[in-house]
Amino acid sequence: MDLENTKAQMRKGILEYCILSVLSRSSCYASDIIKELKEAKVIVVEGTLYPLLTRQKNAGLLSYRWEESQQGPPRKYYELTSEGREYLTDLDNSWNELVESVNLIRTR
Amino acid sequence: MKITVSINIGGWSFNIDEDAYSELKRYLKNLEIHFATEESSSEILSDIESRMAEIFRSRLTTYKQVISMDDVHHAISILGTPEDLSNEEGTSVRDKFASQGYHRIYRDPEHRIIGGVCAGMGSYWNIEPWIVRVIFFILAMMGGIGVLIYLILYIVLPEAKTTAQKIEMKGEPVNIHNITEAVKKEFDSVRKNMNL
Repeated sequence: MDLENTKAQMRKGILEYCILSVLSRSSCYASDIIKELKEAKVIVVEGTLYPLLTRQKNAGLLSYRWEESQQGPPRKYYELTSEGREYLTDLDNSWNELVESVNLIRTR
Repeated sequence: MKITVSINIGGWSFNIDEDAYSELKRYLKNLEIHFATEESSSEILSDIESRMAEIFRSRLTTYKQVISMDDVHHAISILGTPEDLSNEEGTSVRDKFASQGYHRIYRDPEHRIIGGVCAGMGSYWNIEPWIVRVIFFILAMMGGIGVLIYLILYIVLPEAKTTAQKIEMKGEPVNIHNITEAVKKEFDSVRKNMNL
């Protein structure tokens, strides 16, 4: 068994969930999402985030708009679509179930 | 004194040292290869470039107007090398090789009759496993050599367990070069395992 790989697989699943959770509060610029995820230690390198954002956008969970920036070229602002909100509610439930299941097993 | 190059990243214009420019170019090329299998790879790359422009901008001041090698390394450490990305995505370098057409012979447990040796060889060379089985059967009739070879291959060949291994198992067209290469590879790995 490869410990690093197992850890990476665990993180991979929750990373998508975390992105949607961050965006559920307000629409964000990619750097804002990165900042939160880094503070929460779910990502180490930023490059991991971009393919996920693009995949979620392609799946219709996110949309983005270009917003003028004071300091330079327009920036991409991401926000949840209504489909994304439903998806997130489902994930919220399944996350709670998972935590419960794991706790049940660990405290036995 | 150094020569600088003028580049456009994410809609920003930068002056960058020539050596830093080659490093940056190499990095972006590697990322392009890394994301080549993604559906919207060009979009991902342009997002990353925009972020890179931001990082570069934060490194420049009135007194420092040129992007140096240090700045490029700083940006790469934030964004991650393709290896970092693979590690974080939980795909090993081995899986990557598999998707790029790296092939090995495995025993195929899903289509086996005895030990999966013939099924594995069939899927590696993309031929019907029963052809391989018939050859082994004929060799077995001729003084039992087929049984011996089968037993050796059974011991030598690993079983395809993970998806990556199953992809690696599938294959290349039959030609002498591929066959000798494959056999050589297997014997090399056995030699390594036995520390000869």
